[in-house]
Amino acid sequence: MSTPAAQHAPDGAVAARARALTKAYGSGETAVIALDSVDVDIARGRFTAVMGPSGSGKSTLMHCLAGLDTVSAGQVWLGGTEITGLRERELTRLRRDRIGFMFQSFNLIPTLTAAENITLPMDIAGRKPDPLWLDQVIDTLGLRDRLTHRPAQLSGGQQQRVACARALASRPELIFADEPTGNLDSRAGLEVLGFLREAVDDLGQTVVMVTHDPGAAAHSDLVLFLADGRIVDDMERPTAEAVLERMKRFDVVRDRLGDDDGTARED
Amino acid sequence: MLKATLRSFLAHKGRLALSALAVILSVAFVAGSLIFSDTVTRTFDRLFASTAADVTVQPKQLDLRSARVSGSVQTLPAALRDRVARVDGVAAARAEVSVQNAVVVDGRNRSVGPTTGAPTIALAWYVTHRSPVKLTSGHAPHGAGEALLDADTAGKKHVRVGDTLTVEAQPGTFRVRVVGIATFTTTNPGAALVFLDPAVAGRELLGSPAKATSIAVDAAKGVSDTELKQRVGRAVGTGTYDLKTANEQAKSAAASLGTFLDVIKYVMLGFAGVALLVGVFLIVNTFSMLIAQRTRELGLLRALGADRRQVRRSVLTEALLLGLVGSTLGLAAGIGLALGLIRLMSAFGMNLKATEMVIGWGTPVAAYVVGVGVTFVAAYLPARRAAAVSPMAALADAEVAGVGKPLRTRAIAGAVIGVVGAAALAGCATATKTAQAASLLGVGVALTLIATVVAGPLLVRPVIRVLGAAFPALFGPVGLMSQRNALRNPRRTGATAAALMVGLALVGGMSVASASMSASFDRQIDKTLGADFIVQNTNFTPFTRQVRDTVARTPGVGLVVEQRLTQVAVRLPNGGRITTAAAAYGPRLDDVVHLTYARGGSAAALADGHLAMDADFARDHGVRVGSVLPVEFPGGRHTELTVAALTKQETAEGFGAQGGLYFGLATLEKYGPQAQDAALYVNAAPGTAPQDLRPRLQRALGSFPQVQVRNQSDYKKLVHDQIAVLLYLVYALLGLAIVIAVLGVVNTLALSVVERTREIGLLRAIGLGRRQLRRMIRLESVVIAVFGAVLGLALGLVWGVCMQQVLALRGLTALAFPWTTIVAVVIGSAVVGVVAALLPALRASRLNVLAAIAHE
Repeated sequence: MSTPAAQHAPDGAVAARARALTKAYGSGETAVIALDSVDVDIARGRFTAVMGPSGSGKSTLMHCLAGLDTVSAGQVWLGGTEITGLRERELTRLRRDRIGFMFQSFNLIPTLTAAENITLPMDIAGRKPDPLWLDQVIDTLGLRDRLTHRPAQLSGGQQQRVACARALASRPELIFADEPTGNLDSRAGLEVLGFLREAVDDLGQTVVMVTHDPGAAAHSDLVLFLADGRIVDDMERPTAEAVLERMKRFDVVRDRLGDDDGTARED
Repeated sequence: MLKATLRSFLAHKGRLALSALAVILSVAFVAGSLIFSDTVTRTFDRLFASTAADVTVQPKQLDLRSARVSGSVQTLPAALRDRVARVDGVAAARAEVSVQNAVVVDGRNRSVGPTTGAPTIALAWYVTHRSPVKLTSGHAPHGAGEALLDADTAGKKHVRVGDTLTVEAQPGTFRVRVVGIATFTTTNPGAALVFLDPAVAGRELLGSPAKATSIAVDAAKGVSDTELKQRVGRAVGTGTYDLKTANEQAKSAAASLGTFLDVIKYVMLGFAGVALLVGVFLIVNTFSMLIAQRTRELGLLRALGADRRQVRRSVLTEALLLGLVGSTLGLAAGIGLALGLIRLMSAFGMNLKATEMVIGWGTPVAAYVVGVGVTFVAAYLPARRAAAVSPMAALADAEVAGVGKPLRTRAIAGAVIGVVGAAALAGCATATKTAQAASLLGVGVALTLIATVVAGPLLVRPVIRVLGAAFPALFGPVGLMSQRNALRNPRRTGATAAALMVGLALVGGMSVASASMSASFDRQIDKTLGADFIVQNTNFTPFTRQVRDTVARTPGVGLVVEQRLTQVAVRLPNGGRITTAAAAYGPRLDDVVHLTYARGGSAAALADGHLAMDADFARDHGVRVGSVLPVEFPGGRHTELTVAALTKQETAEGFGAQGGLYFGLATLEKYGPQAQDAALYVNAAPGTAPQDLRPRLQRALGSFPQVQVRNQSDYKKLVHDQIAVLLYLVYALLGLAIVIAVLGVVNTLALSVVERTREIGLLRAIGLGRRQLRRMIRLESVVIAVFGAVLGLALGLVWGVCMQQVLALRGLTALAFPWTTIVAVVIGSAVVGVVAALLPALRASRLNVLAAIAHE
């Protein structure tokens, strides 16, 4: 099955791609389908938002694309590399070297300073960061005077900015952000979204963000809507109002279905 | 509330299991030692009670050990039997001959005696209903040249009826043919028994048919043992002889066996003590961590209206449950341990029956008191801390919990106790009296240990910064994170390392002390021993005079100087009376031993009727050169000896000897003529190289397997080996302490892994490999273990130096550090860290990345 999203990106400009991606939890009668044969292309150099009601499979999609979770069927590529079928160690390398991560909370290692957290993936790999790029990232995110602080000494917004810097520092092919503003007040949230936007526009990065906040989704170039494990719609150059309107239609459907979806993989 | 407690106990059973293991181990050692000693005591009480005659008449003894020291046997006239037999109420009387100073050798010059230290007993063969053995093959011995051997020894040493044995007895060596085998009908205490015809036993074993070692008396019907003892006593005179009823005899026999059993008992209790001491740390730690982990839950309980006492009681109830479970399992393990010991004893020839195991009521009581008591005490502080959790904790961030308050109280308490402890140790090092120094040492050791445990968390930061300084450079970010993780909760790191620290401090101290002892003995042997060879029994008991004759006859031997030991009682001018071992030496002592005299010399000391004494001892007791001292020898002979020389000996005391008394061989010949040689000092004749003489001596002494020829370096090695036995025991204790300490490290790491689940998930998500994650946990474990080891060894070295100061007062003046041991212990502790990290690291690396990130 081909979703509209699969048609947007021409070949070669695709950062990540999934074909017939299926993820099921459990087996037999009690099996729950989280992703139902999804085809998706993530365009390089764009800011893509993934939206959908709770249990729609949006986080699962991100986890599968990022090599954090195994798939039940189908194929996933990161750039030209097929990651389905890679072994645990190769997946770890891939995440370390080619993907950047931002989570909703608990993004930083509490024993390390901001600077150490930012370079951690490269330190683990034993690679030297590119000093010019690193300076640019740090200055862009305004972290210059926070580098020697431990996470406990930083505000929530500052912590997310450090996480963002870490995701950018190794200049990965793809940055996954899982509800990056979920734990922030609106001002700090806007700040982080601004930085992600800047990362795409000024630094040429590719960002995929999972969110349930229409306001956050409005910062992206393209919104993919998931429902019941399928991509059901997309929206170019979204606005908060348009996204909200689209989301309301899911709620009507969900209300009719009785809201008893058991997958609840997102919090 | 009780339901909540039970739920929580079951929910944390994995973590509690580690603490339970510590309780189980210590209870097992306590219960095992009690069961074992009860079983042995019951067995031997029964044996001795069933085999002792109704009344036994014996020569008066100066001291129970006298015969063992000198090798002489106290006798009474065999004719006394007839006088006893005539006493009204006596059914039968036998003149018993039984000696333990004979050596029995088989056809291939091997001793048939037990190698365990149990005696070889040569005795007269009587068939009575009390005999512990019965003839199971062959016939009873008739006349000279025939003997029976007990079945256990015959089996072990492959002796059959018809074989010839050589008996080296005090009066002389004779050969016997084994004509029968006697089998124990009761428990065999492990001795080898050789039975001779009563008609010849006196002559062969005591040198005269008119001598016996005791008279065994059977009571006629209706006469009680006590009554009979009184009647026989009136007939033979209680001033000359000791009389014992069957009960009294059994008791004194059991008492002499008791010292050997006490050693086993104390060793086992030592293990129990170490297990308890280290276990306490483990339990305190476990409960502290459980409570830190449950701070929110406890806060919620408090917010819902549980009062402090209820919270405290809830934690203590958990401890009680742990103690009960641990004690019960420990008791079971103790029974197993006792069973193992009984089996082990059987392997050594003491045939205890496992089916007759005695579990007195005291054993379970002790087990539960120890197990429950220790758990309860250890959990008390954590319980108080739990009760202090405020209801607000339910709302606070769980991550902050457990890091705790500042360590100022600990700093002050640790510093104060540490200063007092250090002062005690300094006092010990400068003290001049042994008793005072030893008690200061004890106080100092205890206080410095407490201080280090209390202040341990404060030392975590500086010490681990240094220990882990190279980690970031060596292991990159993994090393950096592991070092920071170890520093994360100093209280927990300190408490975890404390268990290891205690064990290693003990070992450090003991190894310094024993290395110093070895070095001191070496120096002393170098300084005092001048002889080319020393001929001695393998277990230091005296040996027959034929050995001396054989050595003297060996070509190339220039000089033989005998050393004999005897028990003497000396009345001192200041009114005191001491019973001590004294030595007697043959002439030309100066050629084989270098002695330093304050007054007089060897010639004067060894002259007839003279005596040498340690100068310090003499000064303390008001003895001067020329003092005349009344001296009593075994067997009741009295004389007066003149102090003719005062010596400056480094080790005048110890090994049961006081005052360093010695005199000439001629003097001993007069008053204790039966004493056997304890050692022979041998010099090669001029023109004979000692290395040439040695094989000749060994060949000549081939038929005396009990004695060995040793030169100075052999002698040093012998001393080292004996000190090493002590050290092996300490190492075994260390092993136990390490096992429990490892449990503690496992415990801490497991909890850390749980607490840091999200962090681990994050690290894995951003690309930390499984192997790197395992290494991170392993390095943290290693740094904790090495921290404990360094702290423990530092403390142990200080203790060791102070112990050496106490030993120096006893003449052991050398100080030596066993550097190889110390380095090995540090490396070993790193290995301990690696081992302890195995499971927690495996668990961490198997965590599902997504589940870990989502972990609450």
